[in-house]
Parts: sequence; structure tokens; C-alpha cells
Amino acid sequence: MSVEAESTAPVATRVYKPAMATGWWTHKRHYFWYMVREFTALPMAAWLLWFLIEIQRSGSVKTFRPGTSTAFVIFSFICLLFALYHSVTFLGLAGVIIHIKALDRPVPPRAIVVTMFGLWLVASIVIGAVLIGFGR
Amino acid sequence: MTDKRITIRAARFDPEKDKVPHMQSYDIPFSDESMVVLDALNYIKAHVDGSLSYRWSCRMGICGSCGMMVNGTPKLTCAAFLRDYWPRPVTVAPLTNFPVVRDLVVDMEDFMHKLKSVKPWIIRKQEMPLGAGEHRQTMDEIDDFRQFSQCINCMLCYAACPVYGLDNEFLGPAAIALARRYNLDSRDQGTKIRLPVLAQSDGVWECSFVGECSVVCPKGVDPAKAIQQTKLDTTLRFVLPYGNRE
Repeated sequence: MSVEAESTAPVATRVYKPAMATGWWTHKRHYFWYMVREFTALPMAAWLLWFLIEIQRSGSVKTFRPGTSTAFVIFSFICLLFALYHSVTFLGLAGVIIHIKALDRPVPPRAIVVTMFGLWLVASIVIGAVLIGFGR
Repeated sequence: MTDKRITIRAARFDPEKDKVPHMQSYDIPFSDESMVVLDALNYIKAHVDGSLSYRWSCRMGICGSCGMMVNGTPKLTCAAFLRDYWPRPVTVAPLTNFPVVRDLVVDMEDFMHKLKSVKPWIIRKQEMPLGAGEHRQTMDEIDDFRQFSQCINCMLCYAACPVYGLDNEFLGPAAIALARRYNLDSRDQGTKIRLPVLAQSDGVWECSFVGECSVVCPKGVDPAKAIQQTKLDTTLRFVLPYGNRE
């Protein structure tokens, strides 16, 4: 066989294409906590729906009192934990994502994280005050 | 003196015979504490089974050729010391999320295509003639992109990324990190050319910030950071009235 014939000979093209295992997220702790973080959106969405149902059951926003349903209070507490976990992990990464300079010097990531948590606190107080104000 | 030995379990796949890979065990001498997984594979190739196929080149963590799954974690085999695993067996498999061509060799075509799509080189609106001098940079300007320039295209980040594993259309960590590297370079003027590729649905927005790409990077690059910064960059360019001003 000539060299040219050898080079044009058919080449095996079969490749093995691996598929992701269904339980891939259980293989590493990092993947598991990532999935927990992503999962937190689900109970929070459910809480919002339940919240609307509770308001509708009470007749109007004015007559709605959150403490009337024990199940809703318990679920709200669980969702608060999820929301806090999501917020803390999200805001904790702000220093990685935000890349700004002040006076020609990069702002340290820690300062950005502290600022973000501060803004979160201020936003929570303002929203809380507005909701309480509307409720009265 | 005791003759220490270690078991290497290597994935084997012959495209002409096998439908799926299988594991093959090799019991080899562990004679030197400085031995790495790549040394073990080279020993097998030279003394036990010459048919074992894998990629390697520099043996010093520079070329990025010898990336494989070592006990389930993407690693450069030239930097994975056997002493960290002994006396337990070491399982070596091809990088996950990539098609396997043979044994421990994966098809890099998809990665190469994605890398090229982000144009990881300096783009100038008008090239200066060589005699016109250098494009000078300050140390601060270099520091802006230095860590992203350490990427050696080893593809470990792709093997660690479940987003890429679930959807191969995702542009992926290394390609975005290298795009970020050039976007941050004061000599580059190609950001507007790269952004359409980065901002498309299979670009930065596909990433849901697992972060494992940054964990496994052997060169300390933080691709997750590059991706999130690019998300912010593309958003600001879209939202702010002066966002697209050069």
C-alpha cells in the first residue's frame, strides 16, 4: 500500500459521548450546595402564591392578618431561612462580581460585600416600613 | 526497603471494538515520592501496556495537555502526586463532558471552535506599523487582566462545569475568561466585536454560577468571576445611555 493510500484510508470516527448522570449533584458537596441555592427559588415562589391566596381568603389587603393560619406562619418561617440563605450566598459573591475603582484604585472586594449587605439592610427597612405603613 | 506499589485504574475505550469505556487495572511500582499520575501512565505505556492512549507534553503544568479525571476530579495529571492517593487505587478517566476518542483522549474540537469564536487576541481598529513603537501599558493596566491571562486551555473547567455537561452549546468558562482577558486589555479595541458572542443566550447568561470551574483551575484563574463580570458589563452596556461608547 502506498503512503498516499494509507493517508486516505477510512479513520474510525466512533466516539463515546458520555451523558450526565441524573444524580450528578450528589457527587460533590459544592454541587449539592449549588443545587440547594437554586432550589430556594421554588419555595419562595410557592410562598408568594400562598400569600396571595391568604389575602384573597381574608377578603382584602386591609383585613389580612398573617398570623391567622399556623401552617402559613410555619411555611413563612421556613421560606425566610431559604431567602436568607439565597441572599447571603448571593450578596457574599458581590465582591467577586463587581469590579470598580475609586480614586484610580480598585475597591477591595470586602468593602463591596459590606456595602451590599448594608444596602440590603436599608432596602429591607424601607420595604418593611412601606408595607407596615400601607397595612395600617 | 519495601517495594511500594500502587494500583492505577485507567479507562479504556477502543472506538473500533467498544461501545462504552471500561476500566483496566495496572499494579505498578511507586518508587519515588515525587511520582505524579502522568509518570504512572508513562510507566504503564513504557513497561506494561503500550496501547494505552493519552495526551501529554510538557510535564510541568504549562501546556495543559494532560488534563484527566483523577478519582473523579478534573486535574492536570502532571501535577497530581501519587503520594496524595497511596495506598488507595487511583482511577484515571478522560475529562467528563467531552466525547471520548480513545482511552483517555477526548475530542477537543468543540472547545477549539468556542475559543476561536470569542477572538482571544488583541484586536485594533487600525493596526500600527511596527516602526511606530509599542502599545505601552502600566502595571495597573496589566493587573486588570493578569489572572485571566494565566489560562492554559486545559479544559478542566469545562469538565467541572455541570452547565456545559447538560448543554454543550454553552460557550464555557475558559473561552469567556479569555474573552474577558482581552476585553480588559488596554491595548485591545475588540470588545464590541466579542460582546455579541458573549451576550447571546448560550454565552454568559447560560452560567448559573456553580463556581466549580474556579475551584479546579490549576493556574488560579477565576473563570466564574470573569463570567459574572461580563454579565454585569453586558447589562450596563445595554442599560446605560453611554454604555456602548468606546
